[in-house]
Amino acid sequence: MRRVCEIYKVCLKTVFAQAAAYRANFILSMLITLISNILFPLITILIYQKGASFPEWSFWEVILIQAIYTIASGLAASLFSGVTWATMGHIKEGSYEIILLKPLSPLLFLAATNIQLEGVGVIIGGMVMMAISLANLGGVGIGQWCQFILLFVTGVGVLIGLFLIMAAISFKWVGNSRIPEIFESVKTFGKYPLSIFPKAVQGIVTFLIPVGMVGFFPASALLGRLDLKAFWAMIPCVLFMLFGIWIYKKMIALYEGVGG
Amino acid sequence: MALIEVKHLVKSYTTYKRGSGFKETMKSFFKREAVRVHAVHDISFQIEKGEICGVLGPNGAGKSTTIKMLCGALYPTSGEITVMGKVPTRERKQYVKKIGAVFGQKSQLIWDIPPIDSFAMNKAIYDIEDEVYQKRLDEFSELFEVQEVIHKPTRVLSLGERMKCEFIMAMLHAPEIVFLDEPTIGLDVIAKAKIREFIKEMNQKGTTFILTTHDLEDVEQLANHIIIINHGKKVFDDNIDNLRKTLGEKKIVELTLAKPFKEDTIEDVVKMSQDSPYDLRLEVDVAKTSIHDFLQKLSKQLNFTDIAIKELPMEQIITRIYESK
Repeated sequence: MRRVCEIYKVCLKTVFAQAAAYRANFILSMLITLISNILFPLITILIYQKGASFPEWSFWEVILIQAIYTIASGLAASLFSGVTWATMGHIKEGSYEIILLKPLSPLLFLAATNIQLEGVGVIIGGMVMMAISLANLGGVGIGQWCQFILLFVTGVGVLIGLFLIMAAISFKWVGNSRIPEIFESVKTFGKYPLSIFPKAVQGIVTFLIPVGMVGFFPASALLGRLDLKAFWAMIPCVLFMLFGIWIYKKMIALYEGVGG
Repeated sequence: MALIEVKHLVKSYTTYKRGSGFKETMKSFFKREAVRVHAVHDISFQIEKGEICGVLGPNGAGKSTTIKMLCGALYPTSGEITVMGKVPTRERKQYVKKIGAVFGQKSQLIWDIPPIDSFAMNKAIYDIEDEVYQKRLDEFSELFEVQEVIHKPTRVLSLGERMKCEFIMAMLHAPEIVFLDEPTIGLDVIAKAKIREFIKEMNQKGTTFILTTHDLEDVEQLANHIIIINHGKKVFDDNIDNLRKTLGEKKIVELTLAKPFKEDTIEDVVKMSQDSPYDLRLEVDVAKTSIHDFLQKLSKQLNFTDIAIKELPMEQIITRIYESK
């Protein structure tokens, strides 16, 4: 574990050094990521200003779900989206063998060397939204915070699983740069109160591709509106992340390189 | 037991045939013809500790695929690979700790930052002690004369400087075996010489090298064991002296003539070529005729002002092997 932390620390320094090489680009991409991620609550604002609403959910409750979704997305993207893009790139270029030459897990190496610093802006933006919505919603008990942390970590795990599944697909389906867009659309279900969707969709996003855990369930914990099924939903979430890790490792055997 | 043992190694993969032009492209969009490619086909060999083994072959012969399988980066379709008693793909993490690799066309250095930062990353990854790391870094930087270069961003380095840094990156953890895939590709003569010197020096200290190359000077100057692969099959596996003898013990005799030569044949000459009426190039099989007897006969038949006796060029030997099998 000490070695893993040491490697992560050194790689993080390397990532900073790389980002510092193109400062303007780094600042600009952080701003663009921040703006594009925190602007989506505008739709919610527009809906509620026009007198419409998500049934049974107040404006600030919905903003809280979306704030938590933003934080989880930012965190997972910072830590693991780089694995997806780097894997796709290496497979297309035929340079994945460079990763396999390192005496550590390819996942750890790619995650450590491809941390997306732009995600920090998204996390901060999400935290500001969360603070504002909580200030408008009233106090939250310690028990609720504990439930929130547990479900939030599980939600981040789901997103990590998604990133790894996307990366794993690229071993077989080389050049699948549009796949992340499909997953992004699926992920969107976690942004809204699940009760607004039909029962079948609720079942899918709770137990099959459990993106409901990304924003909705952790927010429900803070709001004291948690359904017992959220805890049951943790099982498929953990399985989903483990499946992502397993399939990624399994697919490495399919790597064929390119002509030398 | 040999350091590297390869038995009946096979690597096959499926690729899809696609014609050119709009019609063919549209056709292949709906139906693609699968083609099974045997990149490596039933190759067996052994490499001993301390060798410098040159793996030769034309483009697409299967050299790089073989090297990648030896590195543990590609899974063989069938066959066995044992390196230092380990199966590369099965015990990858433990195995790659003991090997190094330089792929001439793929960089391990991080593009936007100086090589020294990439080295520091490898130090953490390979868990190299501070003192050992510094000692090796100083030694290699001095050998390659790159003390200043390693502090500049990789992207501004010349190809030669970058390759030297790639070697340092691959050697910092003191690997027992180093795999080199076309390590001198695109380099100028000075950079090539420096890299060859480095390989020789490290080899004298006990490192085993396996290199694929198209540069026959690399092979002539470095390798004591040569494996030739063609169309995925091994066609030669022996030392360099025996490689020279594969086409018979032949010598090249180059003559500058006093008078123009117009005849078709000369006795005991296997092959003859003429750049001008005054310049004659003869290939003689010295296993059949001693060079002494040949020159005696030749001096009676021809009047020449200059003579040079040379070994058959390696390029010619290799080309004939590629063409014959």
